[in-house]
Amino acid sequence: MTTEQTTRNHTAAIAAALAPPHGGQQGGPDADPPDANLRERLSEFRALLVISLLMTESVNEDQILELAASSAPGLGPWRIDGYGFTDGQWRPAAAAGSSPPTGLLSQLATLGTAAGPVRLPGRAWAWAYPLRGAGGLLGHLVASCVGEPPAEQRFLIQVIAQQTGVAVSNARLHARERATAAELAATNDALAETVTSLQRSMDIHQRLTRVAVSGEGQPGIAKALHELTGMPVAIEDRYGNLTAWGGPGQPDPYPKESFAKREHLLRRLMRASTPVRDGERLILLASPRTDVLGVLALIDAQHRADHADLVALEHGATVLSMELARLRGIADTELRLRRDLVHDLLAGSDDDSALTRAEALDYDLRRPHRVVIVEGRGRARAHDALLSAVRRAMRTARQDGLFETWSGDVAIVTAGQANWEQLRRAVETDLGGQVHIGVGGPCARPSELPRSLREAGLALRLRKTLLPGNSACEYPKLGIFRMLAAIPDLSDVETFVREWLGSLLDYDARRKAELVHTLTQYLEHGGNYDATAAELSVHKSTLKYRLQRIRELTGLELNDPDVHFNLQLATRAWGTLQALHDER
Amino acid sequence: MVGPVPSGIDEIGLLPGSHVCAFYRGDDDRDRLLNGYLGAGLTAGDKCICIVDSAGTAKRLEALPGSRGEPGPFDGQLDIHLPESTYLAGGEFTTSDMLTFWTEHMVKAEIEGYSFYRLVGEMTWALRDAPGVEHLVGYESELNRVTPNYPVVVLCLYDLDKFSGEVVVNVVKTHPQVLVQGILVENPYYVEPDEFLRSARA
Repeated sequence: MTTEQTTRNHTAAIAAALAPPHGGQQGGPDADPPDANLRERLSEFRALLVISLLMTESVNEDQILELAASSAPGLGPWRIDGYGFTDGQWRPAAAAGSSPPTGLLSQLATLGTAAGPVRLPGRAWAWAYPLRGAGGLLGHLVASCVGEPPAEQRFLIQVIAQQTGVAVSNARLHARERATAAELAATNDALAETVTSLQRSMDIHQRLTRVAVSGEGQPGIAKALHELTGMPVAIEDRYGNLTAWGGPGQPDPYPKESFAKREHLLRRLMRASTPVRDGERLILLASPRTDVLGVLALIDAQHRADHADLVALEHGATVLSMELARLRGIADTELRLRRDLVHDLLAGSDDDSALTRAEALDYDLRRPHRVVIVEGRGRARAHDALLSAVRRAMRTARQDGLFETWSGDVAIVTAGQANWEQLRRAVETDLGGQVHIGVGGPCARPSELPRSLREAGLALRLRKTLLPGNSACEYPKLGIFRMLAAIPDLSDVETFVREWLGSLLDYDARRKAELVHTLTQYLEHGGNYDATAAELSVHKSTLKYRLQRIRELTGLELNDPDVHFNLQLATRAWGTLQALHDER
Repeated sequence: MVGPVPSGIDEIGLLPGSHVCAFYRGDDDRDRLLNGYLGAGLTAGDKCICIVDSAGTAKRLEALPGSRGEPGPFDGQLDIHLPESTYLAGGEFTTSDMLTFWTEHMVKAEIEGYSFYRLVGEMTWALRDAPGVEHLVGYESELNRVTPNYPVVVLCLYDLDKFSGEVVVNVVKTHPQVLVQGILVENPYYVEPDEFLRSARA
């Protein structure tokens, strides 16, 4: 037996104990039976009044039906079997089975709003009483008895049915009212939440849009986002350098991740379309295209960022993307304009036009400038990489200038007085491979820059063909070469070269030999066999053999000072002519 | 004292000697009735004797202003008992033992100097599986004979969540007054003690 059944049995026992003894005389020892009967009826009505009060008080339909059904045994020998409702639902009283007796619901349907007899198996008397509420018929209360109850008992059942109907109707109205109120409250809550959320979104939108159009830049974006979220905000460039901070607690110095960790984070961010948590930071990329321009971070150590904060972060990233794209656009345009200017300066431009364009780019071209040509070989030959390396080296050397790629090399137009050999080594170290530098002479006016370009190119070629080593070659320091290159009519020079080196040049042409080059290096190294052999990358005996061939072919004694001077002049003149011929 | 005294519940006044049955639903409603009824008695200087069905309820009542355990003139004014030491003392319920319990306590209260008493019993103990529960109606009827002789009001508390409609009907039939939803329903046609005992013996 369950606890519920035990309780129910006890309740029944108590009810039986409290009931007046059946057949007992009531109303005193001398009371007449009719008087005792009347007292009992009146007492039952009092009980019915209390039951009605309790049912009216209840807003629980099941509680009402249970109270009505369970009160029946106290009021008479009849019982309530259950309730049939107009929606076809059958609610059995506790004492009855869970299913309606066969055919009962159809019998109730035919009764309509009236009371009337129904057939219940095993019950001599069964009657359905309408349950009426404010909205009309709710259903029927079905009561039964082993025999037909007297009229006053039937009246009690009718009253019970009437009171049950009213109480159920009230309870349903109350439930509907509560449901409507709850629905209204929920709708109001949802509406209020939506309005709040929309208002917040509008605030975010307006605030950040104001920043975008006001030109407050990255500090403005960081400040606005901090004010919207209440959290500190960091804006970093692609490499993790802080570019703006909003709110309190800016770290000093600003911590910087390792390159590998930064790249890993950026890859994560590029894969994600929503903010990514990285420790105590919520991060989003400012990446208007496929490249990364910046990173926006909300410092949220307490993990308290809500939906609105994320919306603000996303909107902030959009505004930051626009800002960075704008800055990038300006930088790209300026770079293009500068490169166009360099190109025109090297090709030849009038002074006024060049100065005006330079001023528009905020570049002072009124200072004396020169052209420097940087040539890369091996790994250093990639143009973009070479250009970037030259920029970095110039920046490191604190030299300003204009840059442009020029016939596969990099041309620098600069007013700087850098240590060009140091610059060459810096670029070489940066890129690897081999780097040569030719430096032209200074120009007082922009229109003279093509001359400086020519000198830089000549210096570069002379360095490669005649001069030992790889060091930067500055045209103004080339001495005799500079003098030779300056002669307008070279025919006398060519005759002089032919006079002293003609037999060797013919031999080299016939045999594809390098006797002129060998002689040049021998003379430039002051007749030192070891240094000359090392420069030519040949064995000393090979060098001696070549020098012997030179003596045989020219019939000249190399140790004769006059011969030595003329040969050295002839080889330098030959190199200069070669460089000038290459230029043409 | 011959006129009605404030019950402490919904502005209802009770005549000395009243034996009232009160229906409530749930613990909160019960506590409202107990607090009001006993609070009014403690304030008026009445001796209050109550039997509640759990130690938890007893502990809550001890916190009432002027109740036992607090220093001051109210010390000892409120006696709180559990069914184990009252209705079901000795493991079973007997009418005579309970009537003796109440009578002794009322006499003791008079000796202590109290001029009016309030008794209250939470009736859920009767749902327990204990011998003698069937004598409950006889006890209630006999109590009706005792209360008119003392300056006392008696409140019997029935929880509607635990007792059925049949119990409600029969309680109303045997009690002269029923308190329900803040309304005191008079039943002049209730079964009086002599009638009940005569009927029971018949």
